[in-house]
Parts: sequence; C-alpha cells; structure tokens
Amino acid sequence: MENRKPSRISLSGLWSIPATRALVALLFVFLLGWIFNAQGAFFKVGTHRDALRQASVYGILACGMTLVIMSGGIDLAVGSVLALIAVAFSLMTIHWGWSPWVSLPLSLGAGLVCGAVSGLVTASWGIQPFIATLAMMVFARGLAKTMSGGMKISTAVKNPDGTYRYVDVPAMFRFVDSRVLHGHLAVVTVIFLLCAAAGWVLLSRHCLGRYLYAIGGNEEAARLSGVPVKRTKVLAYSASGLMAAVAGICQAAQEQQGDPEAGAGYELTAIAIVVIGGTTLSGGRGGMGLTLLGTLTIGYLDKILSINAVPEASRLMLTGAIIIVAVLAQRRRKS
Amino acid sequence: MRLFNRATLLSLLFAVSALLLAGCGQSESNSSGGANAVAAKKPKSTYTIGMSQCNLGEPWRVEMNAQIKAAADKHPNLQVVFKDAQNDTLKQRAHVEEFVSAGVDLILISPKEAQPLTEPVAKAMDAGIPVIVLDRAVLGDKYTCFIGADNKKIGHAAGEWIVKKLGGKGKVVELKGLMTSIPGQDRNSGFRDAIAGTAIEVIFDADMKWLEPNARQEMESALARFNKIDCVYAHNDPGAHGAYLAAKAAGREKEMIFVGIDALPQEGVAYVQQGILDATFQYPTGGAEAIDAALKILQGQTVPKKIVLGSRVFDKETVAQGGRPLE
Repeated sequence: MENRKPSRISLSGLWSIPATRALVALLFVFLLGWIFNAQGAFFKVGTHRDALRQASVYGILACGMTLVIMSGGIDLAVGSVLALIAVAFSLMTIHWGWSPWVSLPLSLGAGLVCGAVSGLVTASWGIQPFIATLAMMVFARGLAKTMSGGMKISTAVKNPDGTYRYVDVPAMFRFVDSRVLHGHLAVVTVIFLLCAAAGWVLLSRHCLGRYLYAIGGNEEAARLSGVPVKRTKVLAYSASGLMAAVAGICQAAQEQQGDPEAGAGYELTAIAIVVIGGTTLSGGRGGMGLTLLGTLTIGYLDKILSINAVPEASRLMLTGAIIIVAVLAQRRRKS
Repeated sequence: MRLFNRATLLSLLFAVSALLLAGCGQSESNSSGGANAVAAKKPKSTYTIGMSQCNLGEPWRVEMNAQIKAAADKHPNLQVVFKDAQNDTLKQRAHVEEFVSAGVDLILISPKEAQPLTEPVAKAMDAGIPVIVLDRAVLGDKYTCFIGADNKKIGHAAGEWIVKKLGGKGKVVELKGLMTSIPGQDRNSGFRDAIAGTAIEVIFDADMKWLEPNARQEMESALARFNKIDCVYAHNDPGAHGAYLAAKAAGREKEMIFVGIDALPQEGVAYVQQGILDATFQYPTGGAEAIDAALKILQGQTVPKKIVLGSRVFDKETVAQGGRPLE
C-alpha cells in the first residue's frame, strides 16, 4: 500500500492500489466478452442479468470468506454448510409447511452456529483453520445427507403409504428466485450486493475491520496490542457460516428444492474469487470491494465461456490459467 | 520360567494353526472351482449378501439400494449388508475384499469404474463367491452375471420420441451429463443416431455434469443466443428441471418441450405429472432383478451372463399408468 501521497497521479502509483488491478482484470474479461460476443448475446441485458445471477451464490460465499482469509485463516466448510441449510430450509418450509418468519431465522442461525463452532475450534483449541473447517465440511455434509435421507427435499412429498403428493413451491422460494427492476435484476443479486455492503460497512466502520487486518498481518503482535484475537476470529467464522446459510437459502430457492449434494466445490470458487479480487491468502490485506470485483470477474468469465459454448476441458484450462495470471498481477510490489 | 513360556506359546500357536487349517479345509470342500460354475452348496437357512455401492451421494443409487432392500425384505432367508464407497475406487476395492474375507454367500456390486474393480471381483469369484455386477460393467468375463440398462438404447428412444413429437424438424438444445462417463457418452451417441438424417438440429450443447445449477446456467446462455428453441434434451431429469426453470424465468417455457432421463418416482415422474417435463425415460436400477438372480444362483440354478433391463417412457399420456415399456 502507498504510504505517501503521490504529488501527481502516476501510473505506477495507480497500479499499486489493489482495486486498480482487480478492475483491470475485470475490464480484460469484458474485452473478451466484447470480442467473443456469441452473435451479439453478450450485449443483451438478459445475459448480464443472468451472469450476475449465477455469480451471486458464489459471491455471497466470498463475502464471508473475505473476512476469514483476511484474518489469516480459511473456511473450507462453506459449500457443505450451504447444502445443510438448503436441506434444512427446504424441510421446514416445503415439507413441514412452517412460515418463513420461523424457518428463515432458524436456518440463518444454524449457519451461524456452524461457523461459530469452526471458529471456536480454531481459536480456542488452536487447531489450524484448514483442519477445523475441513472437519466441519465433512460433518456438515454428512448431517445434510442424514437429514434428507440422501434425497433432494422437493415439492414431491412422500406419503406414509409410499405415494407422492405435490405441494406448491412456497412464496418465499418464488420471491428469492424472482426479478426486480422490470425484470433486469435477479433478487439473489440484490441479496449478494446487500451482503457485500454489510461486509463493507463492518470492515470500514467497525473496529472488527481493523482487528481482522491486524490479526492477519501479525497475530502475535495483534494479541500483544490488545486486539481480542479469539473473539474476532470466532466472529469472522460465524459471519462466514451466516453467509453460507444465506447462500444455501438462495440455492434452494433457485432449484426449488434442498439438495444435500449442493455446493460441492463451491468453497474453492469462493476462495478463487477472494484471491482474484486481491485479498491475499496470507492475510492482513484485502476488502469487500475487491471481492465484489473478483465475483464479477469470475462470473463474467463463466458467462462468456458459456455463451460461446466452449467445450468443458478448455473451460477448465482457461479458468485455471486466468486464476494464476490474476494472482501474479496481484503480488505486492516492493516499493 | 522362560522355557515354560516358550512352550506355552508354541502349543498355543499349534492349536490356533490347527483350528485355522481345519476351518480352511472345510470352506475349501464347500467352495466351487471354476469361475462361472454354480457352487453346489448345501442349502442354508439364511444367506448373507454383500452389496458394494459406489456412491450413495447419487439419488439414483439411493433408489437402487432401496429397491434391493425392498426386494430382499420379501425373503426372510436373505440378509443384505450394504457398504457405500462414497465414490472412492480404493474404498470400494477394500469393501469387496472385506466381503471376501467375511465369507459372504454372494456379492452385489455397482462399480465406480471398470479397470480397478475387475481384479477384486475376479478374486471373489476365485474364492467361490458368486458376483452380480450392476449398472457399470467390469472388464473381461470373470463374474457370474451382469445386470444393467442400455444407455445407448435409452438415448436412441429419447431421440425417436423427440423426432416424432416435433414432426421431424426442429431446433434442440442438448444438455449433456459428464462426457467423460460412459452413460453421458451413450445417451449422447444414441440420441444423435436417432436424429441423424432428420431435420432436427442441435443448435447448442453443453456439458452440465449431471448438475441442475449448471444446466440452468447453460440454458440461460442458450436462451440468450437463440430466439426459437423447440426442445431441450437433458441427459438426466435434474438437468431438464434446471433448463425448465431457466426457460420459465425468461417466460419461454411454453415455447419448447423438455425431455429428461432417469424417471425416479419423486423426481422425473413427478415432473411429468406436474407438467414440468414432457417426457422422461426410465433408467432402471435393476434392484429387484438383482435379488431375483441372487436367489436363483444361491439355489443352484443358472442365470444368463448378461441381463439387459428394459426401460419405460413416462409422458403426459402414459404417466398415470406407470409409463409405457420401450421395445
């Protein structure tokens, strides 16, 4: 980070700001879309709305992941917690017919608890975040499968005699999967932007932000300076669990079912988004705006590959290459 | 004292070895020699069947186990032990070896893949345990019986149904399952064979890896590119459902027909009944047929080497009667 005000705007000064680099990566992806526009599909409003829609669940996960990574940790459990909450929310709202005023807080609370457990295990017992959240990842997946009996929780409800009856898709599900602004913006995108905004406020206005940076930069120094390390870490992981719950609810609404296998591998995409945005894995540097840029970059890249019907193998290789290039460009320069 | 201890140890060792050899001798006289020959066993009061499933993470396989259990429950003399390899080939290998050392009377296996499981299955056959292979084949022919459906035939039937429904011409979006898997390749090639020579054109295809969110994303891209789509052919019902949701969000679900494969009762068949899908083709699990064949083998009868399961089509007209069998 620049520690002296530049007397004039210099290119190297601009480039050293992480947001600039993230923006350049995003603009590069837009340029790719402009060139490979798939017979004009890239210029349609619907394409942009859909690109944002499909990136939103990953973006919500990335919001929580940003806090955790900034503190120098990692949360591998978010994909599994997503599935667990998707199953729980679907069970409560579709099968048991509970009001969303009850099932929503319960589902969000359950996600928060999962995150808090991960945070406590790593902060209180000193177990490495990788291991603690790996254990939660496996446990939450198992719990999701147990609760659902291995089947998706859908609008086809099994009667005691083995036949199926069909219930309506609950209004809450329809609402989350709907669009606003004359059909130009998906509700899940609005939810993602709200999560990002909440995260941004938390980081910039609240002392939590300063504590997270301090712990990520040098945990021992932070502890000696009086930063409440344990409490801050538990809060960061709890926030990540809460975001995973929000993502699970959005996922369930968009699939109109709770799938215990949902979210497999989503944690890696969330980490990639955070890293491409410019938050370093070693911690101490980063922010919510960067994560927003990273979400857009990955989201649009996926969309451009999709509208051009690029074969699967090529997609994987291209995405991997771009992750490396973006991270290389994000490396902190020695001034 | 030391001499006494050594003597006790040696005599213990002798006793244990003698027991082991005697036990081995007994089982050897019971087991059969050749790989395909049916064992001439004394009829027992209960038979233990070991069932090795490759991945209970897939609802279709949960259904397979449920059908096996339902069929076995009808026969009190059958006891089935289920093991789930959680999509790990080495774990599944270990499960087969565990069944062999436990000395089960018969093994049912739905392998994750052919090559790594061929030898454990062969070793089980050598140990005199008949093996029924379900759904995915192993290499060679060292097993008792293979029971599975023909994905190529199902893909072909889906293609024929679409040709008939669209009157021989139309624009189709194909949402493919994992194309590195045999079912994905077969459902694709069977379909393409059926539409070859007609005016049915595949305008967009993508690998959605059997997953519903992926299918929805790909369908959104197709909807953005093409103003007119007549049909969506997805390699499984979750894929077709995801495509339907994408089309519905775009207000275009009435423009096209949706066809899926699998026809699980609470999924594909339910979707047809609810008017979401226009047709789904059953990919039978073969659970009931497996128990039938197992009983025959245990009672000393011969069974065919390969049992190809039939399939059924569920569409608006036939869903109430439980679908229509395919020829």
